[in-house]
Amino acid sequence: MQVYILNILVIVESILLLITSLILFSKTRNLTNLKKYEEALINAQAEQQAKENDFFPMLVHELRAPLSVIQGAADLLIKSTEDLNAEQIHTLLNQIKISSSSLLEMVGEILDVSKMEGGKFQINKTYGSIEDVLKEQCSYFEPVAKVRKVTLSCPKLEDLPSFSFDPERIKQVLNNLISNAIKFSLEGGSIVITSKKDYGFVRIEVVDNGVGVADKDKPLLFQKFFQASNHKDIKEKGTGLGLVIAKGIVEAHGGKIWVEDNKPKGSKFIFTIPLR
Amino acid sequence: MPKKILFIEDDEGFFNIFSVPLKMKGYDIVHVSDGSLAVEKVISEKPDLVLLDIVLPGTSGLDVLKELREREETKLTKIVMLTNFGSDDNIARAMEYGASDYLMKYNIVPSELPSKIAGFLGETQESVVKVTES
Ligand SMILES: Nc1ncnc2c1ncn2[C@@H]1O[C@H](COP(=O)(O)OP(=O)(O)OP(=O)(O)O)[C@@H](O)[C@H]1O
Ligand SMILES: [Mg+2]
Repeated sequence: MQVYILNILVIVESILLLITSLILFSKTRNLTNLKKYEEALINAQAEQQAKENDFFPMLVHELRAPLSVIQGAADLLIKSTEDLNAEQIHTLLNQIKISSSSLLEMVGEILDVSKMEGGKFQINKTYGSIEDVLKEQCSYFEPVAKVRKVTLSCPKLEDLPSFSFDPERIKQVLNNLISNAIKFSLEGGSIVITSKKDYGFVRIEVVDNGVGVADKDKPLLFQKFFQASNHKDIKEKGTGLGLVIAKGIVEAHGGKIWVEDNKPKGSKFIFTIPLR
Repeated sequence: MPKKILFIEDDEGFFNIFSVPLKMKGYDIVHVSDGSLAVEKVISEKPDLVLLDIVLPGTSGLDVLKELREREETKLTKIVMLTNFGSDDNIARAMEYGASDYLMKYNIVPSELPSKIAGFLGETQESVVKVTES
């Protein structure tokens, strides 16, 4: 009898062992899968890092240009005070102001992006009219458009309801979309800005008939540093952060931003902000 | 008659800090900010020297240089590259196309640019003499 029980125990034990080894085996298989996932993730991260490293010199370059202009202008003002006429002094001082503002703006953009990436980006909503913001930004860009021989039509007032949003940040979004539209328009082009209520959202469109965006570039536009370019020596000004920030701001409001083709030529940048 | 310099540069800031000392020394400065307008401007303005950036809207400075060298009217015009992009490849190409020199914006103190330009303009006369002699 005792032998019988012992036999059963041995069988049970071996079954248990078999089960545990099977479990362990499947676990290790899971582990190897996990390892594979981890490797893929690390590779993707390395790839992203490499891409960013490629862009890094370009970014530093963009920062260095205004800095060296400021240094050069200050140097001239100090060394040649006697020989400069009033107009030249004004040109140099004004240049220092312009270059420092653009430097500050770029540094601000870099900070915004790093906050967005670290999940620390915040908006300050206040209750107000988005049409006022639209009007203000549009009239701000009218003279710029005129210089570039591009017509800019601002939205007709639609009596959009007031709601809560961050006016400074929405200005920043419009700023970038309108300046992009001007930058990527050809002489004689036209830009149309529209706003309307669309179910629970306001929908704002900035439409140009400029160079447009190639299909292959569309998924890349809202990525850090991306600038579509057909030739490495042809200038595309900017840091390629504008649309990343615009996306971050719109999403922080609970909205969406995307690009569509404008028929027959150019592009449409559209964003929505929930009315709440 | 003051010597004329055609300055092809799209960055307003760099244009200002480099053109002010040149104007102070009495040079006549003509500004072009678009690469695609550069060649026709050189032909119509007949400058004594061209200062040429590489990264430009429209047409790149290296392409402008090449075209200037290929044209009868401008093949002897003095051209000095003044740029940020000092890759070996760009420098080699610029020199191959016959630029007089390749200056880096970050290495040039604006107040020292006029004396460099004076040097190049001196060379211009020399090389013109050489060309007509041979
Ligand atoms: N309206 C447009 N038409 C055609 N291409 C555009 C337009 N807007 C943006 N793009 C493309 O998307 C790229 C990224 O735009 P983004 O605003 O992020 O950067 P940027 O304008 O180059 O630089 P920044 O805004 O930081 O000064 C641009 O470089 C351009 O290639
Ligand atoms: Mg932009």
